Formats: sequence, C-alpha cells, structure tokens
Amino acid sequence: MAFIDIQQLTFSYPQMEQPVLHHIDLSIEEGEFVVLCGVSGCGKSTLVKHLKREITPHGDATGSVLYNGTLLNELSDKIAASEIGFVMQSPENQIVTDKVWHELAFGLENLGFNTMTIRRRVAEMANFFGIQTWFRKNTMELSGGQKQILNLAAIMAMQPKLLILDEPTSQLDPIAASEFIATLHKLNKELGLTILLVEHRLEEVYPIADRVVIMDKGAIICNGTPKEVAKALQHVDQHHPMLGGLPTPLRIHHALKSQTNAPLTIRDGRQWLTNNFKAQEWQSKKIYDRSFEKKTVLSVKNAWFRYEKDGLDVLRGFSIDVNQGEVISILGGNGTGKTTALGVMSGILKAYRGKIMIDGKPLRKISNHELYHQCLAVLPQNPQTLFVTKSVISELQSTVETQNLTKEEENLQIQTIVRKLNLESLLERHPYDLSGGEQQKVALAKVLLLKPRILLLDEPTKGMDAASKTVLATLLEQLKEEGVAIVMVTHDIEFSASHSDRCALFFDGLIVSSDETRTFYSGNHFYTTAAHRMSRHLFSNAITCEDVIEQCNQQQNRMIHS
Amino acid sequence: MKAFANYHPIVIFLYFVFVIGLTMFYMHPIYLIISLAMSILLSLQINQKSFLHSLKWMVPLFVIAALINPLISHDGEKIILYIDDNPITIEAIVYGFAMSVMICTVIFWFGCYNKLMTSDKFLYLFGKISPAFALIISLTLRLVPRFQQQIGAITQAQRAVGMDVTSGNLLHRIKCGIHILSILITWALENAIETADSMKARGYGLPKRSTFSLFSFEKRDALTLTIMFILMTINVIGSFLGYTDYYFYPTFSELVLQPISLLLYTTYTLLLALPIIIELWEAFKWRSLISNN
Repeated sequence: MAFIDIQQLTFSYPQMEQPVLHHIDLSIEEGEFVVLCGVSGCGKSTLVKHLKREITPHGDATGSVLYNGTLLNELSDKIAASEIGFVMQSPENQIVTDKVWHELAFGLENLGFNTMTIRRRVAEMANFFGIQTWFRKNTMELSGGQKQILNLAAIMAMQPKLLILDEPTSQLDPIAASEFIATLHKLNKELGLTILLVEHRLEEVYPIADRVVIMDKGAIICNGTPKEVAKALQHVDQHHPMLGGLPTPLRIHHALKSQTNAPLTIRDGRQWLTNNFKAQEWQSKKIYDRSFEKKTVLSVKNAWFRYEKDGLDVLRGFSIDVNQGEVISILGGNGTGKTTALGVMSGILKAYRGKIMIDGKPLRKISNHELYHQCLAVLPQNPQTLFVTKSVISELQSTVETQNLTKEEENLQIQTIVRKLNLESLLERHPYDLSGGEQQKVALAKVLLLKPRILLLDEPTKGMDAASKTVLATLLEQLKEEGVAIVMVTHDIEFSASHSDRCALFFDGLIVSSDETRTFYSGNHFYTTAAHRMSRHLFSNAITCEDVIEQCNQQQNRMIHS
Repeated sequence: MKAFANYHPIVIFLYFVFVIGLTMFYMHPIYLIISLAMSILLSLQINQKSFLHSLKWMVPLFVIAALINPLISHDGEKIILYIDDNPITIEAIVYGFAMSVMICTVIFWFGCYNKLMTSDKFLYLFGKISPAFALIISLTLRLVPRFQQQIGAITQAQRAVGMDVTSGNLLHRIKCGIHILSILITWALENAIETADSMKARGYGLPKRSTFSLFSFEKRDALTLTIMFILMTINVIGSFLGYTDYYFYPTFSELVLQPISLLLYTTYTLLLALPIIIELWEAFKWRSLISNN
C-alpha cells in the first residue's frame, strides 16, 4: 500500500469540454522526493491541488485519491489540514499575518494547540530554518527568499507528513531559489519527509530527486528515477518544449542523441564531456557586430541616487550607454539596486547627480508626454500593475486611445501587435486569468503599442517556463531588427547568455564590468552559465547549450568523415 | 528604559489605569504634586527626548489653563481685585493652577503609556477578549503596508505608459487616479483569493481555535500586580475615609499631617514610582553583575 495513491483521476473544469487530467495513476511511497514537471498548462498544478482537499478546484472529477489507505475526502478535517502541507507560488500572497512569529504560529492556532506546545514548535522551526534573527520582525520587511522560507516553516510547524510545493521558487532569484531547494533536500534527508515538488526550473532539483514525473497535456508521460527518465526522454521529439527546462548536462546529452549513461550534474557532465570529446578552439559564427557604429540613444553618466535625503546611496556613479538595436542585460545580486537603476534610466526616479541623455538631449528637458510616447517604455516586474480593464482587447484599446489616432489607425495598430505576439486566442480573456508568461506578453503588447525606441524590461523572464521564454526571445529579436534599444535587468543567466548582445554586472551601485556577452561569460568563473561551467575545460568560449552542442556535433561529424 | 516595558502587558496596562485614574480623581495638592513629580521623572527616564520636546507647547498650555479659571469662576473668599465688578479670588487662581497641573500630569502619563504600551501589547490584551477581532487587526496590519507598496508600483508603471497623476490637467489627473485605484482593487481582490487558500490550507476555520502570543505571565508579573493592588486598595480606602479630600471653595481646607495621611502619601508615591524603582533596581543589578565578573 503506497502512501499516496492516485487512481484513474480524471478532472475537467466547469464548462470546459477538454478534461485537464486524463486517467492519472500515480503512487508515492513514504519518504520519497518526487519532482513533477511539464510545460505550463499541462495540468501539473491541478493535479497537486487534488492532493490538498481544502484547495481542490471545483469541477467534475472521477477516480480516487488515497492518503495512507484512506480516501482523501474521508480524512478528518484536522488531519487533512495538518498532515498535508501545501506551499504555493507567490511568497507574498501566502503570508497572512503581520509578524513573523505570528505567521509561524498561525496554523497551530487554527488546530487549537495550547500556548506551551505552540511555543515549542515555533522555536523548533525558527531554529531549523534559521529564522531566529528575524523572528520578531514584520513580515513586510523580509526579502522574497525569506518570505518563502517563512511560508515553508509555517507549514512545517504543523508537522505534515506530506509536503506539496507548487513552483515555490519561480518568484525567487537564483541564490534564494537554490537555498530554498537545499532546505527541501535537508527536510527530505533528515526528517524523511515525503515531498512532491512541482517545478519548471529543473537545473538543481533534478539530480536530488528520487523520482521524476513528467506530464504532458494532462497525462503522465514519464515516471521513474532521474536516470530512467533521462533515458526515456530519448524517444521524445527534439523540439518538445518540455526539454528546454531540463538541466544543461541532460539537454546536451539529449541533443547529441548519446547512448551513454546520462549525466545529471555539472560535475558528471564535465566528466562525460572529457570522456567523449577533445578540447578545441572554436569561433562562433554569431558574433556581435561592431563593424558599423551604432547610434547611442540612451546614455547615463555618473548617476548618483538615493531614496531619502539621509539614506544610503543606491547608485554611486552608475554609467551606461545604450545603442540602437542592441540588447543589454544588467545582472547582479538581489536588492543591489538594479531596479533602481532602471528607474533612473527611465526618468521615473531622479538622480541627484549625473547626466542622463536621450538622443543627446538631457532627460530633464524632455516632458513626460514626449518621453513616454514613442520614445521610452518600461515593462514593470509585475505585469499586473498595468492591467486596468476586463479583457485583453480592451486593455490594448485603452493604450492606443491615449495617442490621438483615427479609428482605423487604432485598429490597424492593435491588429499588428496581436499578430506579432500571437495574442489571438487570448483577446477575450480577463488579464488576471492568464498564466504568468501570458500576462507578461500582454503587458509587453501594451508597452509596445506606445512604439518605444528604447525598451526597459525589469525581470522579463520571472516565472516563465522555457516555452514562454522562447516566445519572448523571438520577440526581442524582432524588435532589435527594427532598431529598438533594449535594456533588461535580469537574474536569468541562461536567458541573457543566449539573447543579449552585451552583459553588464551591477555591483555596489554601479556597473563593474560590461562586455560583449560571450567575452563576459567566458571570463567569469562563478557568475556564468551552466553550459560554460560544464564545458570550459574543453571549449573555452562556449556559453550556451547550443554552443556546446554545436561543437560536439562538429567533432562527431569529423570523426565519422575521417 | 527596558525593564518595565518587558513586563506582561496586563501589568503595564493596569498600572496606567490605576495611575491615570487616581490622578484624575484627586485634587489634593500633595497628591497632585506627587503625581506631577513622578510623571516627569518617568518621562525623563523613558522618553526624554520627546518629553523635553513637548514642553515647548505644554508650558503655554499650563499657563493658559491656569489663567482661565479665575476669569470665569468668582467663588472664594480671598479677593485680590475686581475686574468690571467681578471679583478675582486667590482660591480661583489656585484652583486654576491645580486643574492645570492635573491636566498636564495626565498628558505626561499618557506619553509614558504610549511609549510602554505598544500596539502589539494592546492588541494582545484585547485579542484575549475577541480573538476574531485580534486576527482581523493582524491581517489589516499586514495589508496596509502591502497596499501602499503596490500603489507605489502601480503609479510608477502607469506613469511610464503615459498615465501620470502628477502632470496634465485636472481631468487627466482624476482619470489617472481612478485608473490607479481600480488597478489596486482588482489586484487586491485577485490576490486575496490566494491568501484565503493559504489560510484554508493551514486549517483556518476548524473549531476551537487558540491564540498564541510571545508574552508570558511570570512570577515577577504576579508579584508586581499584587503590590500594585495592595497600594491601590490602601489609597482607595483612604479616599473613602475622607483623608484625600480637599476643598478650594469657599476657602482652602486645612492641610493636616496625620500618621495615616503620611502612610497614604507614601503608598501613593510608591505606586506611582513602581516603574522608576524597577528601572533603578534592574540597573543596580546589572552593574553589580558586571562588577562581580
């Protein structure tokens, strides 16, 4: 008898013809660490919500879910609430109370424990998760990573036997995300906790999972140990969007159709490359074109900024030049002021010293109307801050209306942008009903309707799965062709390596190093892509998966021909 | 300045109820002076800066309050002059000063109350009476700063798409303001669903909810409470027996120093000085701890 047993579960949302889940059979043993993955919209979130009675979505369900031999619906309320813990995506929305200690105690209060028990459990959790130093703080003051750790700790205080997590790291920066995953690993190893983790960023979780389950279109397509799944995936089509989320070593292994044992970690990947390939010098065909001088459209020189008069300086001599038709990525740790830098570049925040020029004209002298129409646009980190209306189409219309055009021109513009971003199927939907990636796309459409020549993006890939990232990448490419200058602030090393012309490292209030992307990443030792870390001992300047695959393919071809 | 603040909220709260209650009740000059002196001492001890700052407007207030009484009250026997046939009496002047002292003292005590009885302590005490109310307050305290932050983010995002509240004509500004508000409301409602899910998932709504707090009632709290009650009872009994009565009209009643009134003054002083004594005692213990090492 398995710990969790899902039998023939089929589910469809009300008024939807297609079921979201088709005859799912899945059993999980006690103490297992199971990772569930798949492209967004494949039904993975819906599936895990069926394991937590309190938040099971409404709709037609057939089949059964057994918890420890009992039907989930027949568990007592108290056991259902305490023994199955559920951590959701947004760190912010899950926090209920104003104080950290109160948040930890919240679930225990609901279960009606007495003060002594709560005190002990809260203390235990604070110790285990390292919360002691911020135990008495307000929950508002915490960073995103701390918030998510708090959510996890608050659930662990109820001593669950099964922990379900629905994309818990998608809103976190890479460092906080890997800390979070490490904590999960520790819970599993040290307490024998059963964990079911839904995740699309697999780089770190894949090697530590006991079992990987892959879903596609509402059904389970692979289920087994990471190695077994890696093998099973060999039969999956090369262009399946799911593959983009796999760890780098596995992607390279897969793309080369290698029949050897699949490497899961960077270490194994290095070993595997050494065993199968030789070092070689190589020049990428795609090289940043410096041949003709591009016009500088936005330049910041020595900008200083602080939020309060007596506060600390967030920017200390920040300088950057942005050229027409290029994509620049600004990378750097969390809370170092990257978003502030973007604010200063966009004129939303005013630097107290330094020069900001747009097309050679000082920013101060440009009126807001001039600046934000057909000149500069910002895509905020949270696309929801842009949505005003009830449907995507009226969202687009409301933006066009601000430009004083005739009806025909307005319609033409909307049609163009809809076609460009493939929004046809979304037009009638409510912006809030869309997935994170789709919301980002609609927000981008809104911003692009203002016809900017300079586009500033704040964390454009946050919460996106590999497939949505590809769409965004294509779009950036198009805009670049049209001569739009794009600056993005991002944590996504992989994305910036594949899709930007220049990368800049932001640290301590200014840009400390800035270079053409390939030089930038092949020069860094830690702050670089997984593909580079895996292959740099053989191919010194390969930075993306595609680079490594291309080089390996060349070698294989040469071997066949000779 | 931390010693008394670390006591259980109920001790702090009752202390202020007693002290402020008695201060407002007694018009006896000696009691007034004791209370004024103690309130000033405690203020200097726990919030010196804002206390000294507040003197700027407290002194004028004191003088004005004192001067108003003789102008409107003409009772009393010792007349010093007539203004428009209205007698100004010494009794009225002194009574005015006494009232003024009392008002200022109460204000000083409330200053100390604010410093020692922080909002979380107050909420904890009243949460005991209604747990549901306490939870609502806690949720609200979380939401208000969240909304403020979100309004900031929305305003910036909207400014960058040409909907700037800070520029343009009035109509445009109103339109932008409404936009921002409408975005905020949609955002709040949408995100509240997830918060509600998170509450449900953690068993909110199960019967027999308990409340937890970080405050614990210790032996020293019980001891302090007992002392407070004894001192309070002595004073209340004293008042019932008429030892604390004092009359300004028709003329001043006599100040008699009996053993029993001396006892009352001492107990009153002790009650009011409790935080100061605790503070000094802790400071003394602390120093002796360090010097022993």
